[in-house]
Amino acid sequence: MSVLELENKTATDTQLSAGQQMIRHCVEHSAHLLPAQGPIEVFVHHNTLHAFEDQSFHEAVKSGLARYGAEPYFSEPEYRRLYSEGRITDSDLEAVLNDELGERASEPINGPGTRCEIRYAMLRHPMHIGPDAELRWVVAETDALQRFRDRTTKINRARIVSAAQKWLQDTGKTSEAIDDQKGLLKKFGPHGGDWSSSAWESFSLHLLWRSCLKGVSSFTPSSQPDTHVRPRDLLLHTTGEDIDRDVHEVLIRFCAAYVDQGYSDWLMPNRDQGFFGSFVSLYSENPGGLDRWLKRLPDEMSLLRNSCTTAEASIEVSLREFGIAESDREEFITQSLLTLGGWAGMIWQLESGVDRVVHSIPKGSLVGMLAVQLILEKHAIRNLGADAFGKSDSIATITESARKRLSDPAPLNRERGAFLLFQVAQMLGWTPLELQQLSEPEWKQLSEEVEGFTGIDRRRVFHEAYERKYHHAALNAFSEHARRRREVAPPWSDRPDFQIVTCIDDREESFRRHLEEVQPRCETFGAAGFFAVAIYYRGAADGFYKPLCPAVVTPDHYVQEDVGYTFDGVHRGRAELRRRLGLASHLFHTRSRTFLGGILAGIVGSLATAPLVARVLFPHLTARIRRRFGSLLQPPPVTQLQLERYADPPGPTAGHIGYKTDEMADVVVRFLRDIGLTRSKDFSRLFIIGGHGSSSLNNPHESAYCCGACAGNRGGPNARAFAEMANDWRVRALVVQRGIAIPDDTTFVGAYHNTCDDSVVFYDLDQLPSSHREEFEAARDAIEEARQRNAHERCRRFDSAPLTISTKDALRHVEARAQDISQVRPEYNHATNALCVVGRRDWSRGLFLDRRAFLTSYDPTQDDDEHSVLLRILSAAIPVCAGINLEYYFSCVDHKNYGSGSKLPHNIVSLLGVMEGTSSDLRTGLYQQMVEIHEPLRILFLIETSPEAMLSIMERNEGIARLCRGGWSHLAVIDAETSQVQVFRNGRFEPFDMSDGELSHACSSLDCYEGKRGHRPFFSIAETDVWS
Amino acid sequence: MTMESVLQFLGLVVVASPAVLLAALGLPLLCGFALSEGIQARLTKAGVVIGLLASVAILGLMLATGLRHVPIELGNWVSIEQEHFHFHLKFVFDRLSVPFAILSFVLCGTVGAFAAVYLHREKGYARFFLQYALFLLGMIVSSLAGTIETLFFGWELVGLSSALLVAYFHDRPGPVRNGHRVWTTYRLADAAFLIAALTMHHLTGAGDFQRLMGAGPWPAGVAAIDSWSALAIGSLLLLAAAGKSGMVPFSGWLPRAMEGPTPSSAVFYGALSVHLGTYLLLRVSPLLAVSLPLQVLVITLGLISALFGTLASRVQCDVKNALAFASLTQVGIITIEIGFGLRYIALIHMIGHACLRTLQLLRSPSVLKDYQMLEDAVGEHLGGDVVNPAQTATGFQLWLYRFAMHRGYLDALLDNWVVRPFTTAFRWCDGMERRWTNLLSGGASRESDQLASFSESLEDVA
Repeated sequence: MSVLELENKTATDTQLSAGQQMIRHCVEHSAHLLPAQGPIEVFVHHNTLHAFEDQSFHEAVKSGLARYGAEPYFSEPEYRRLYSEGRITDSDLEAVLNDELGERASEPINGPGTRCEIRYAMLRHPMHIGPDAELRWVVAETDALQRFRDRTTKINRARIVSAAQKWLQDTGKTSEAIDDQKGLLKKFGPHGGDWSSSAWESFSLHLLWRSCLKGVSSFTPSSQPDTHVRPRDLLLHTTGEDIDRDVHEVLIRFCAAYVDQGYSDWLMPNRDQGFFGSFVSLYSENPGGLDRWLKRLPDEMSLLRNSCTTAEASIEVSLREFGIAESDREEFITQSLLTLGGWAGMIWQLESGVDRVVHSIPKGSLVGMLAVQLILEKHAIRNLGADAFGKSDSIATITESARKRLSDPAPLNRERGAFLLFQVAQMLGWTPLELQQLSEPEWKQLSEEVEGFTGIDRRRVFHEAYERKYHHAALNAFSEHARRRREVAPPWSDRPDFQIVTCIDDREESFRRHLEEVQPRCETFGAAGFFAVAIYYRGAADGFYKPLCPAVVTPDHYVQEDVGYTFDGVHRGRAELRRRLGLASHLFHTRSRTFLGGILAGIVGSLATAPLVARVLFPHLTARIRRRFGSLLQPPPVTQLQLERYADPPGPTAGHIGYKTDEMADVVVRFLRDIGLTRSKDFSRLFIIGGHGSSSLNNPHESAYCCGACAGNRGGPNARAFAEMANDWRVRALVVQRGIAIPDDTTFVGAYHNTCDDSVVFYDLDQLPSSHREEFEAARDAIEEARQRNAHERCRRFDSAPLTISTKDALRHVEARAQDISQVRPEYNHATNALCVVGRRDWSRGLFLDRRAFLTSYDPTQDDDEHSVLLRILSAAIPVCAGINLEYYFSCVDHKNYGSGSKLPHNIVSLLGVMEGTSSDLRTGLYQQMVEIHEPLRILFLIETSPEAMLSIMERNEGIARLCRGGWSHLAVIDAETSQVQVFRNGRFEPFDMSDGELSHACSSLDCYEGKRGHRPFFSIAETDVWS
Repeated sequence: MTMESVLQFLGLVVVASPAVLLAALGLPLLCGFALSEGIQARLTKAGVVIGLLASVAILGLMLATGLRHVPIELGNWVSIEQEHFHFHLKFVFDRLSVPFAILSFVLCGTVGAFAAVYLHREKGYARFFLQYALFLLGMIVSSLAGTIETLFFGWELVGLSSALLVAYFHDRPGPVRNGHRVWTTYRLADAAFLIAALTMHHLTGAGDFQRLMGAGPWPAGVAAIDSWSALAIGSLLLLAAAGKSGMVPFSGWLPRAMEGPTPSSAVFYGALSVHLGTYLLLRVSPLLAVSLPLQVLVITLGLISALFGTLASRVQCDVKNALAFASLTQVGIITIEIGFGLRYIALIHMIGHACLRTLQLLRSPSVLKDYQMLEDAVGEHLGGDVVNPAQTATGFQLWLYRFAMHRGYLDALLDNWVVRPFTTAFRWCDGMERRWTNLLSGGASRESDQLASFSESLEDVA
């Protein structure tokens, strides 16, 4: 065996040969194509195709198709369904086609029609082009050659039939034509006037088909033979046996055990030796018992162990054995890693230390995984070779035999081209006579034109049209609404009754809108939900610090929740009780899986019926009981944040926790400048800061539902910390020095909005001055009403809530969803997101956005000439919102490849992620139930600024430029004073023509959505009458 | 109305309610008529609640009157006199079957309610509930069966619905293959069961448990056959039970069965299906009393399965696999208890275990959150220390770890020693047949070998 030839090598880089270094380099390079999702506990939305972000969107989705076999857009039938429903219109299709083709649109293609006509016909009418087998079936089994297609117009039918009649009369001029005629007539019998119309129809179609086939056959189409880089693909193709099945079963188990974060009782032995090392040591002894195909594995492993072969060296040997050419190496390595992309990606994430985990793994694990995979593949191939070809010695002879057997049933490239033309001809009324007169190069051009407009291209055009309709409606609505808003005076005379800031999250859009309707004299703002307070936070009942800030930021400060001095004793007692109960419960759950513990657990197990039945059948009641008893365990109700720091530097230990006052002032100033609230007269007496999060049961993806600006955690503590900072007199004094005078009578209150059960809680109300009590209570009543209405609006999307539900029941309904262990859709999260508005609330207030827009507050009039505030806001908002939007886009168009499939069979593995069933790749992305109501539209950023400012920001921030210039997201700017919108296209801003699309008026949000489940158009909601 | 007829009526209701449910869900589907999710959920609820109430009523009446054995005769459904064959439908309510039937109703009902929400908007909603009804009927029929042929009938329904539910996600190859594997293993167990049933007919002239086990109500019966026959029938039934309960050496299917939606995994493989084998052993437990070798056999099998299960469950890193092997451990222990004649303890253990496991499986997606909560409460990481312990493992540790990770090499064992010889033998027969027919016809005899899968021109087919 060639392994023997390898001399001893150690894993140090310096001693690796050039080839091995190249292998390591290849692996690291390929690793960037793997899913970049870390442990599921901290779910951070990001662009699924991040690896392809340097390409344009449409190029990247094609690369995604080539690389992952994943759908780039919706399927064509799906777009056609939307087309028939009127969601995609003819005018959008035409506009997109004209945009794409520009000058080339009206080029005639050799007589029959212009390029635009051909493409338009191919879009409007479904084209049957499938794999060879489907094509055979369509031609042979459907009446494609008997009847015109349904959509063929009468005129075109008549044209084609009369041309066929003419052809029949006029033949005889060339011998070739006579042969043709004989062949056809043999099939149809002697011709004459007695043919029925259906016989003529069939005859004409046969003639048309033969003309197309002959025309297409007149030149040789270029076809590429299938190349199988991996031997597995070749063998699958020839024998129908998939070696990956066996290989993966072993590899998945090993991967899961290797990265396990403490679920299994036994640690994998020798895990510190790395992936390859532990595998070699585990399999190098005791050959007994293994599956047939692994019989020879222990021999090889002990050889490897004795020769101290490194993973790289082993890969090199495997590559040689597989006979992979030097030029194919990188491709081969990439394809191999992607077969278990989820696991490989997780190993890469862990080894490169992107995410902190309890059990870290050594560097080089991914190389080790590849080495193991290739070794297993070798054994599986030999085994299959023995079964299928009677050869088991060398991989080369097996692949050679397989190649010989590779019988290629002549691919139907010609027929496919001809059938496509045949369908287009019927749609455009091309007659057989016209077609027969085309010369060879003309045929070639025609055929290339038709085939060149491939399925992907058609879907791209459909998709653009699909987006165009929504985006146009949106821009029209914003422009028109801004115009109307200019004529409306603010509902408050001097100062608003209260002000509230929420996260920019699309789920808060409806909450803010309802609040403004309930209490018109309130002003709302939107800002990234960590409110400039980037911290590691530990609650009174938490064991560890968690980061509460966007994933791209590394916090410097630590904040801890303390229990008031009075309750310290109670707190300690309860903490000890929690600890004991926690240990007992852990013991019960792990021991119930063992021999002796299980006997006991089994015998008392009947008691489990009570929680089982209660939780499934009466979730609401159970939740109440749990809360009642839970309150005996939770920390006492009065707590405070340890926010002020006495010692340098910031850290997690006593004294180092918290902020210095000038740092607090920085936070407050930065935040107020972001939302554009800097003038004393603009402050109301009460200012509420609302963080948000989500809680649900039985949901491994819970973190994906929480605040994206808090790294998938709940943003309550940030709001609480901010309120405390802004209330501090010393901080305010520093803030005044920096130019913002917060009035003395302004009080800040922190709050937390749970977007799943729509509850709102307030922090530190004990410290609320009694002078503000009345205002606070009025505000709380308004919020109370708003959350009920918000729940009601959300319920229209849930099939299980009746459309006639009352607001009170709606609140009950969403509460029950959060408490139900059988609920797979606790809420719809960011589904349907499609817009992001950056600008003053004033001109978008009252516009019904259907919970589809991220809303960021920004006042361009207060920004400096460098637009530094806008740059600061956008450098967070654009990547985050686009990341969320694109993750939804990809999980929606292909929930199998880009998403994590259906939630129903999900199974938590290694405490890191989910598998489908008990042996599958680690699934990344969003699950199907999460995206089912989503419309995969790229997000449209509408920013209140000038085109020049936006262009300069793009120049200064590469990330924003990449997303906007590459078409990953759409961009437009609006001037709120003139309602003029400019759209960013092809690298520059162009004025947007406001079409006369109507923007309907409505009296309230309820008017806009009542009794409807689907997506709703934009509405302009009138301000509620202040004095009513 | 006499007590007799009331019990008869209630007994019929218990059996009929799942049967009617199956018809109510299945017939509209058969006629191409789609019921709405709400109607299906309500039908299921009604079916389960009526059945549950009737069986609780029977329990109440039996407790009140002191009756311990209530047979419900439905007569011979097939009868071939010449062959002495009867398909005798008879149900028995006694101290074994009533608790088990109630357990089936409670767990199926809870899981049905769970699934009605969990599978909301799922494409296969109707299919799931149809198979669920089939499973429920199978469970009720086999738990109440009074004759071995009735038991076999229910047993088959359970097997069929289980295999179909494993393959629920039939657009992926994995679940279908695993469903197939479960089905094949079940066939092996069924073959043993069928032979046992035939032997029993031969020995006693009927499949009635009462003839075999003596007249006393369970568990007081005394087997009416000699110890050697008891050993023969008993070991066949033990084989059947091992297949159904996933005991050694058939344990390979148990983790593979976790492919379906979580609720089906919970109720079938965590709770009810796996206990059907031990239920069978309990039903025929009087046989054990007359044959010591049989007892030893049962205890040994139980012990091996339990030890194997506990070993394997220790290395599993995912929730469902860990629970699958934990279930196996308990099933093994229950088998041991049966072997020692602790019939009531076994019954209590079975019921308790089924409830606990169902709850654990239904809550399996919460594991991550539970861990976080516990770690917060305890204040340290439960999975151990922060760094990997750098200790070298001994050879024995490695062996044991690999043994557990490969699930005792049981799949390989079955593949090498059962499947391969089987397929080799039949391939050999096929080869011989081909040679023989070629010889007779003086050339290639199989036309199908030469057929191309498609013809040359597309149009000519038209």
